[in-house]
Amino acid sequence: MDNASTISVSSPVVDFKEVTFQFLEDNSPVFTNISFSIHAGERVVLYGPSGCGKSTLLYLMNRLYPANCDGELSGSVALFHKDASSYAAGEINRRIATVFQDPETQFCMPTVEQEMAFTLENLHINREEMEQRITTTLDLTGLSAFRHSVIQTLSGGMKQRLATACALLIEPQVLLLDEPLAHLDPLTAHQYVEWLNALQLSSDFTVVVVEHRLDLWGSFFNRALHVKNSGVFSIEANPTRSPIQFPSRTSTVQDVVALEAQNISVNIDGNRLLSNISLSLRKGEIAVLAGPNGSGKSTLLKTICGILKKTDGQFKSGRTIPGYVPQSPEHLFVTNDVGQEISFSNHANADEISDIMHSLRLLEIQDAHPFAISHGQKRRVAIGAMIADQRPVLLLDEPTSGQDSEVLIELFHLIDSMAKEGFTVLIVTHDMAFAAAIADTVFLLNNGELTGRYENEQLWQQTELLKTHHLLPPIGAASYV
Amino acid sequence: MSSRTWLHDMNPALKFILVIVSMLTLAWFFNPWTPFLVFVGVILIQLSFSRINWKVWSLFMIPIGFSALGYLWTTVLFAADTSGNVIWVWRGIEVTDQQWHTALSLAFRVFAFSSLSLLFALTTNPVKFVMSLMQQLRLSPKLAYGVMVGYQFLPVVKEEFIQIRHAHRLRGIGQEKYAWQRLLSMRRILIPLLASAVRRAERSAFAMEARGLTGERRSIYYEPLHIGGRDWLLAIILIFVLIASSVAGFLLS
Repeated sequence: MDNASTISVSSPVVDFKEVTFQFLEDNSPVFTNISFSIHAGERVVLYGPSGCGKSTLLYLMNRLYPANCDGELSGSVALFHKDASSYAAGEINRRIATVFQDPETQFCMPTVEQEMAFTLENLHINREEMEQRITTTLDLTGLSAFRHSVIQTLSGGMKQRLATACALLIEPQVLLLDEPLAHLDPLTAHQYVEWLNALQLSSDFTVVVVEHRLDLWGSFFNRALHVKNSGVFSIEANPTRSPIQFPSRTSTVQDVVALEAQNISVNIDGNRLLSNISLSLRKGEIAVLAGPNGSGKSTLLKTICGILKKTDGQFKSGRTIPGYVPQSPEHLFVTNDVGQEISFSNHANADEISDIMHSLRLLEIQDAHPFAISHGQKRRVAIGAMIADQRPVLLLDEPTSGQDSEVLIELFHLIDSMAKEGFTVLIVTHDMAFAAAIADTVFLLNNGELTGRYENEQLWQQTELLKTHHLLPPIGAASYV
Repeated sequence: MSSRTWLHDMNPALKFILVIVSMLTLAWFFNPWTPFLVFVGVILIQLSFSRINWKVWSLFMIPIGFSALGYLWTTVLFAADTSGNVIWVWRGIEVTDQQWHTALSLAFRVFAFSSLSLLFALTTNPVKFVMSLMQQLRLSPKLAYGVMVGYQFLPVVKEEFIQIRHAHRLRGIGQEKYAWQRLLSMRRILIPLLASAVRRAERSAFAMEARGLTGERRSIYYEPLHIGGRDWLLAIILIFVLIASSVAGFLLS
């Protein structure tokens, strides 16, 4: 075992030497003269902030680039001691498998079994071996019970496991993962990492992960390569990160009720989605609404702001109804530039609008198309539009999902400053580290019923309660190996 | 009773070819009897070899019935060809036997074509159809799996459409008073919907390619589809109905 691993560690399976890569439509290269290598059996993370080109690196490793883009590559990319460009189409995909970020866009067949067969048919594997490989891989990955399940009915976490299982089917030497946790909630992400850890120990493939949030991975990795635009990547052995440290904030709750819901129930198409929900929010309060997927969190937000009709109960919320920012803020956009987007509803005068533009830092992008700006900027535009509508209560649906630490800290300050100005904010999130840092109160929702209202500090000791709501306490990174 | 699953189990590519051939053949017959007999024959075939939901079938047939009626009366009243014997006069409008003949033929043709389409649509699983096109008719895998991905997208796109409409409702769009205004505001939904569809399509293409799809023809299938004896039997029955109706139509007119 020791001998075998020392021999394999010494031979690089991926070797980049002085690689420069540029998209033809860009003015400057994504990378200039970068060098790094990855050895067999390693667990390597390519680490860097969003937008630094990590995914591009991954696509160079599985030959999706430069074959599928208008890009110019110089320097040497060697895969298994051979120049990457010398491989025939599809040849490298028999040895290097990839799992992508978005669990929704990796499948083309209706059922789990058919999806796995798709991969094996691509490789022209004979019928008996297909059968046998599918059975073994399902056993290995613990997915045997789902063999005949329809993929669309699986949860995001299960889909990501299936994508990994489809990758392992080809018995790859290298497994590439492109931010595999981005769309999963923390508990599911944690379970996925544990699962991958056990798989790697039993099958001994090389793992290369592109990631901007190391804290979710505990001590999974042997090495971190710090991705930068040029030069040799620096290496960090056994990298770990503690969860993001948010600044502390003082509560700004005022003793004025901003929104009160009494016995709200919602039925849609004969299904009871919410029953008997009563809650009250005060001016300047930041509240978090948490619970498992499908428990009715988004339905509650949409009912409070009047998008969905309530079946029963009543709201008291002063003059105007609350504002709502969906998980994809661009869904709110209806005009062609940021300035028009803010002034669209005509509820605010010119002074108020320029105030909003100033405080949300939108002046420098006011002529940009709202679809062409970054995700953080989109959210600020959406919030600005809601404030300009004179809505004193803001409901944010999953603003933390898939965001890196920089965006999360920016979001923290944004919400904090809005509470200081007297806005009331209700946030749906799975990220309990974020919730613990920002919330005054936490509401838990399960099966369409409100299971409790907790002051921030009281909740985090109750591990069992959190677990039944599919949540993870904010502190305590797990350890592996 | 077991024969009632035959049409559902039939090889989709063969069924597809048969339906196309029947339609092309029908196009050559201008008498009212052939399409009428094909229509009746197709219903009999469905009654004996399928378990389709006749309620759904009837619902589809309602608009088709209306358009057939439309063909009938417009041809009777406005036909360019006014030769033949006058068989009916009403307030100065003369209807000749020739006109009546053509009108009936057109109306029954609508029925025959739609019953053939429904025979195919209501008994065929779309996934199996695409797989069969690839296996029997040598459709390129690139195209076949492209269609499959699109098919998997439909529910996702629908979900996203609802999400966008909900968000727009908050901004007062989609609540306009008149239908034409609401229709105009649809373009605001289409842009974000298309933008995300394009992004999603690219991601899917990458995922398929990373899993070794090169577009070359595959040599082995996990679920091979064959054309068996029962498929040929059904083919013979349908062709018999077609030929019998053609001959009968020829003799009866």
